[in-house]
Amino acid sequence: MISTIVKQEWRLLQADRTLGAVVLLMGLLVGYSLYNGSAWVGFQRETLAGAEAEQSKRLAKLKQDLEDFEAGRKEPKGFQDPRSAGAIGGVTAAPHVAMPPAPLATLAIGQSDLYPYYFKLNPRSKQAILANDEIENPTNLLAGRFDLAFVLIYLFPLLILALGYNMVASEREQGTLLLALSQPVTMGQLVAGKVLLRGGLLLGLVVAFTLAGALVTGVDLGSGTVWLRLGLWIAMMTLYAGFWFGLAVLVNSWQSSSATNALTLAGCWLGLVLVAPSVANLLATSLYPVPSRVEMVQAMRRAGKEAQLKGSTLLAKYMEDHPELMPEGEKTQPDFASITYAVQMEVDKQVQPVLDQFDRQVTRQQEFADRFRFISPAILAQSAMNDLAGTSLGRYQHFSRQVDGFFEEWRAYFLPKIFQKTKLKAADLESFPRYSFREEEDAAITGRVGVVLAGMAAFSSVVLMVGFGRIKSARAAG
Amino acid sequence: MIGYIAHKEMREMRRDGRFQVAAGIVMTLLVVSVAIGWEQYVTVSRQHEQARAETREQWLTQGKKNPHSAAHYGVYAFKPKSPLSLVDRGADPYTGVAVWLEAHKQNEFKYKPARDANTLARFGDLTASSVMQLLIPLLIILMSFSAFAGEKEQGTLRLLLSMGVAREKLAIGKALGIAGGLGTLLVPAAVMGSAALMLGSEEGAFSANLPRLAWMTASYLLYFAAFIGLSLTVSAMARTGRLALVCLLGFWIFNGLAAPRLMSDVSRTIYRTPSSFAFAREMESELKKEQSEEALKRKVMAQYKVEKMEDLPVNFQGIALQASEEHGNEVYDRLYGQLWDTFEAQNRLQQQGAVVAPLLAMRSVSMGLSGTDFAQFRDFSVAAEQYRRQLIEVLNDDITKAGKQEGPHLGDERLWAKAPPFVYEAPGVGRVLSQQCWSLSLLAVWATSGAALAGWAATRRLRAE
Repeated sequence: MISTIVKQEWRLLQADRTLGAVVLLMGLLVGYSLYNGSAWVGFQRETLAGAEAEQSKRLAKLKQDLEDFEAGRKEPKGFQDPRSAGAIGGVTAAPHVAMPPAPLATLAIGQSDLYPYYFKLNPRSKQAILANDEIENPTNLLAGRFDLAFVLIYLFPLLILALGYNMVASEREQGTLLLALSQPVTMGQLVAGKVLLRGGLLLGLVVAFTLAGALVTGVDLGSGTVWLRLGLWIAMMTLYAGFWFGLAVLVNSWQSSSATNALTLAGCWLGLVLVAPSVANLLATSLYPVPSRVEMVQAMRRAGKEAQLKGSTLLAKYMEDHPELMPEGEKTQPDFASITYAVQMEVDKQVQPVLDQFDRQVTRQQEFADRFRFISPAILAQSAMNDLAGTSLGRYQHFSRQVDGFFEEWRAYFLPKIFQKTKLKAADLESFPRYSFREEEDAAITGRVGVVLAGMAAFSSVVLMVGFGRIKSARAAG
Repeated sequence: MIGYIAHKEMREMRRDGRFQVAAGIVMTLLVVSVAIGWEQYVTVSRQHEQARAETREQWLTQGKKNPHSAAHYGVYAFKPKSPLSLVDRGADPYTGVAVWLEAHKQNEFKYKPARDANTLARFGDLTASSVMQLLIPLLIILMSFSAFAGEKEQGTLRLLLSMGVAREKLAIGKALGIAGGLGTLLVPAAVMGSAALMLGSEEGAFSANLPRLAWMTASYLLYFAAFIGLSLTVSAMARTGRLALVCLLGFWIFNGLAAPRLMSDVSRTIYRTPSSFAFAREMESELKKEQSEEALKRKVMAQYKVEKMEDLPVNFQGIALQASEEHGNEVYDRLYGQLWDTFEAQNRLQQQGAVVAPLLAMRSVSMGLSGTDFAQFRDFSVAAEQYRRQLIEVLNDDITKAGKQEGPHLGDERLWAKAPPFVYEAPGVGRVLSQQCWSLSLLAVWATSGAALAGWAATRRLRAE
């Protein structure tokens, strides 16, 4: 029965100009947003390639220099001995760490314009990691990006509502509803047919456009994780679309005029997509305020001041604690690099608790704020899309943890050599710790997105169930 | 006659349940956002005040040390929050709050508040400005889409015109009615906002901010007037109320959601922002182009008319430090200048985008007058950097003048106190207005052409069918 309704509806829709306009508009929006996303990803890849090239050139030169020194072809000179572990580990071989764009990064720019996705590690101080930032005009950050996620979250519901606001109301107004229901078909079946056709059409188009766009912009469809992410993306889209269709059915069940339906639905859209997120943000930030960074800076200064004051005495103390690091046959002869590191390590040791406490507070605040996502399907959709595209805070934190680990590894390699005043050789270059980004486990992403999908499923099923439950008993004539 | 029509419009609005609900929601949001904005402003200002005093205290009590070590220790500068940020937080969440002023380096501002927030924050802040830029135009559309179109559909337009009501009077009456309805909402909100501002700001700050507040009120009124004019025009030209509503909502979505993103993309394409990698590379290579120490030595020896370095009456180290500082300053001025000029070019282009979307002009004026736009962030950055240079120069001069002496040269509290504390004064309203002249003129154009169009549509295109 439903298939007959779908066929009939298809004929009706074809005759209507709205459909053509919707398809055209959607094609344009999806196309433009994907172009935009891929331009941004292209820029990121180009930058990373540039950084990579610079690093290999730098290391090649370092190797050449060291070989020249060893062979006596060149004399080492400068403020710091270029063969010293301090100069090499801190400057000439300082590594770039990077988080390359995830496979679906073109789909949602998300938070990737806000958090740094690469930087040069400064092994002297851990706090320097905090200071890294990508350059961007704050006004642009404020405006946000025209990416696929924007189109799907903000504009796609409007297209759904444009096709769905008068599904039943207009037939009732034209009197054709009575006629249709005089056939052996129930109101529920009729509406289900209408929703299925419209939903299938819109979703099919979005999925087709997205896949085509993804292919054109160079997404590798050969890998399993890409399909997993795409699958979750489509599941999320389906549920999100289901929610808005459910809302349209619900509003149609109130038996008011199609004009009133349109206004009510527009109001719901405004409330859920624009107002609810900013209210949620306001609630989250006022109920669980982020601790003040200004106070953190001051606490760091206070903690670090002592260590700064002690200066070179710290090195002597450090050597007492670590006699194995004492350069052979020497009394403690403080050199620049050793003092800098000794001071900086003491500062780090003092400051770390402040930073840790601050991080804990921020994380707790973010967890609280995360609960407010469940206020609106729009926030849920954004959050899932960012996770799937690899442009979420979650992935950035994953990157940060790796950087922390690598920082420790790098330091553990160079510090003893700095204190022992070891002169490095060209051959040592091979044994330097190497950084490479490990992509997040699929399970981690599925875990984060799963919660969101469950919330979205709850939203859609409640609205669809209530909507269809009510429309069954709706009257056929006005 | 006009008064009569306006009165009727307002009465109709008051009786309309939909308007009541919508107006109630908008009003609540406005009140809540101002209250929260006020609370945030007070808290943040207090924190910054404390931090400012403490950083100075730390500087003064850092103990005896080599002046150059003190230069490396440095001080922090904290970006003050402007009182009007309670109306519009603008770009504040996306600019850092603190900068470390130390030797050799112009640092970036660190700790953008948005980085500590999560996904929610990117949907936008709920501030009085977002309510006024987005929701009130929507309310205007809801109030006026049926002004003429509805009367057409109900047939009352024919009746009105047959009674000899002049069309222009009808249009003016309708416009005044809508404005009046809006006024019942906005006047209390404005009074409340001003009261919050008065309570929240320190003595003198309120009166200093009054011109900004007055200009801001005027520009929002222009923005609303543009929407009233536009809505009435569409309502007069559309055959049905529904068509008028669809057209107006379409424009609203374009204006509020699509245009800011589109224009930011366009401006970024035309004026490219470098990656921080490319920027740092260029900085590094420019900083390396410093004159050699040998050349500087020759120059200094010639200046003091001595043959050997040992005969210099001053300490060369201080001169060398200051010379490298000055080379750095020149590079920072040039490169940061270029970068920030790029941002400002992007922002200017976005302001000019107001030709198609008035929100772009309104947003810019509102941020500018609130003191939360990029231009004023830049102004503060430049002031902090100037202070850094002054501070470092005091220390380097001290090293230079110490001449040659036995043992290490140490500075003490007397020297630290020679560098005055950092005081910043925000630019006056005149500077802001000159930066916003494009936006302000475009807003005026929108308002006047909206009115003219509405008048034209009501007299020439309004037909009772």
